[in-house]
Amino acid sequence: MKKNWIGYAFISPWIIGFLLFTAFPFLSSVYLSFTRYNIITPAVWVGGANYHTLLTGDPLFWKSLGVTFRFAAIAVPLGIVAGVALALLLNLNLRGMGIYRTIFFLPSIVPTVATSVVFLWLFNPEIGLVNRLLKLVGVTGPPWLGSASWALPTLVLMSLWGVGGSMVIYLAGLKDIPSYLYEAAIIDGATPWQRLRHVTLPMLSPVIFFNLVMGLIGIFQYFTEAYIMTQGGPEDSTHFYALYLFERAWRYLDMGYASAMAWVLFLVIMAITGVMFWTQRRWVHYEG
Amino acid sequence: MAELKSGNALSLAAGVIAVGLLGWWGISQERESAAPHTAHGRIPVYYWHMWSAEWKPVMENVVTEFNASQTKYEVIPLQVPYGNADSKFLLSVAGGDPPDVMAQWTQAISTWSQGGILQPLETRMTPTEKNYFDNETYPVIHNNGWYKGHLYGMVMGVDVYACYYRADDFKQAGVDPDPAKFPSTLEGLTALGKKLDRTDASGNLTRVGFLPAGLTQFAPAFGGGFYDQSTRDVALDTPQNLKALTYIVDEHNRLGMDRLLRYNASLKPQNGADWPFIDGSMSISLDGEWRVQQLAKFAPNLKYHVAPLPAPAGGKPMASFSVTNFLTIPAGAKHSEGAWEFIKFWAGMDNPARAAKYNTAFGWLPSSPRMAGSPVYQAYLKKYPEYKTFVDLAASKNIVTTPPVPYQMFLMDRISAADDLAERGSVTPGMALKGLTKDVTRERSQRKELGYDE
Repeated sequence: MKKNWIGYAFISPWIIGFLLFTAFPFLSSVYLSFTRYNIITPAVWVGGANYHTLLTGDPLFWKSLGVTFRFAAIAVPLGIVAGVALALLLNLNLRGMGIYRTIFFLPSIVPTVATSVVFLWLFNPEIGLVNRLLKLVGVTGPPWLGSASWALPTLVLMSLWGVGGSMVIYLAGLKDIPSYLYEAAIIDGATPWQRLRHVTLPMLSPVIFFNLVMGLIGIFQYFTEAYIMTQGGPEDSTHFYALYLFERAWRYLDMGYASAMAWVLFLVIMAITGVMFWTQRRWVHYEG
Repeated sequence: MAELKSGNALSLAAGVIAVGLLGWWGISQERESAAPHTAHGRIPVYYWHMWSAEWKPVMENVVTEFNASQTKYEVIPLQVPYGNADSKFLLSVAGGDPPDVMAQWTQAISTWSQGGILQPLETRMTPTEKNYFDNETYPVIHNNGWYKGHLYGMVMGVDVYACYYRADDFKQAGVDPDPAKFPSTLEGLTALGKKLDRTDASGNLTRVGFLPAGLTQFAPAFGGGFYDQSTRDVALDTPQNLKALTYIVDEHNRLGMDRLLRYNASLKPQNGADWPFIDGSMSISLDGEWRVQQLAKFAPNLKYHVAPLPAPAGGKPMASFSVTNFLTIPAGAKHSEGAWEFIKFWAGMDNPARAAKYNTAFGWLPSSPRMAGSPVYQAYLKKYPEYKTFVDLAASKNIVTTPPVPYQMFLMDRISAADDLAERGSVTPGMALKGLTKDVTRERSQRKELGYDE
């Protein structure tokens, strides 16, 4: 017991920091979500008014939630497919593979702000590189971020730029698959597609599941790119939930309402993660 | 490696914590002892601002001159990045350690005043200062920064908008560029703009004569706006605003929405030397007074003139929207008297002629006819004759400002969103304004439900 106390004493700076800067704000926000609060004057208790307005009287709340769901529904599966495909390619035994892996991983460590600014130029309808390349093959490119119908798909495309981060995890997962499973499959006459379908993907499913959950959590907090590139426009087509939450908190000084939004988001993420965990019993295979 | 004995480990952990606490105490003591006076033995006045690059030395010159004039206070400026200046400022007020003076670019004086974030300023004025402020300053200077009868932000710089036009483009189209012959009606200006449009072989716009955009920019000329002073209430879905938005949308339709989208995307950023007016992408541009200095700097050989936006039939002449920046004293400022001294000095309440030097250095409008008539300001107008149009606008009564309501940030965001919807052709102007009114009414009832003071 005494030994434990010594350990606690050593980690006490972290524990104190966690309690003060994570646990306390986290719990405070529960209380604040039931108040009217502008961060300067004391919070005033308003009961469930913030939640009531959110759910019944704020179309932008539903719109921003819809935008976020649509984005998640496209970007997360696409990110998984691209990440797995890239990892499969980079798992081949080719000369200079380390260099290729580094190249594909590099974009994921570029700061989001820098990436966003570069992509603003790439997707410029008139002078951007993407439309210039499309023009070379006779295609007139769309207005990308300038169009209400194209802005969200443009951000989805851009999200693939950072797929290198999950690719590394898939790659580690692929390396973990025992080679005897492939040997057995080959002996049984399995084609490459059958080996992928019945060996690689099932064995990789715990990693896919991990990236799916982390990806969903990340997507529901999608903010920086929209803040820098579109500010929610055009026509609120990229008004993501986190962006609206930020506006409520820091532009309209409605911290109580923003706290309520944060808790609704927390519950949404928890619910979706719960559903994912429930479904994983059917499709995630753990070795042994 | 020998195992650490438990007694020693406990002592070590306690030592680490003790050193940490000691350090924290030391720093707080140092801050306490450093607070009352600067190295020059004067009371420090901490001033946060967002002026960077070429504007930073201009602003610092004001501080240097103020400090040179003082034996009691010393202003210590700190430049904070514009992107997160508001959140840093709000947190500093919430934390009880705000600056003494905060430059404010966000049009949120009412929101912040209602939140108890700012201190009233008019109560600090002496009778002479109040007399100057009430009776001599231009309406656009005097009428901004108020909330519920108190002045919370002293207007320093005001942006108003007029038409810049390229003389050579006019000549090529066979139009006399003499400012006296500039169209006297918006209808005339629109027809002229059409004449100046240019397209390439594929029909893409290479130059736009005159492109109206932005409800806030055009509503004033139509006699519209967003706040009714007589009822002290917002006024959004008005016939005047509808006319203004319809005019903008009609012009967009004439040029073609998709063609316009591509033309706008091809334009360089609006900043400094990149302003599309300079490279000839537009012949007439409704823009702010700061462009005069920029043109002198980045395109000294460009022949251009400036004229007020002409009124449409039944509209208002010499009208413009205005955007202002302020100096404020936050709640909890430790040296608010010094802060007020600095604000007065810069605003020139005691000596408008002296402050004219600062306004001209920034390319700002004069705050009063007395400042405009000062030798410094007159010399500035002689150097930049095109600036006179903006000085004339400053004296106009048809300048529209951000409504002084506590939900003004929400209001301006929604005006912009409704404008965007209409300008893109997704809804009709009438539907956009009705939707805007509905959004704002809903927000107000929500605020009422939450117990906010209207």
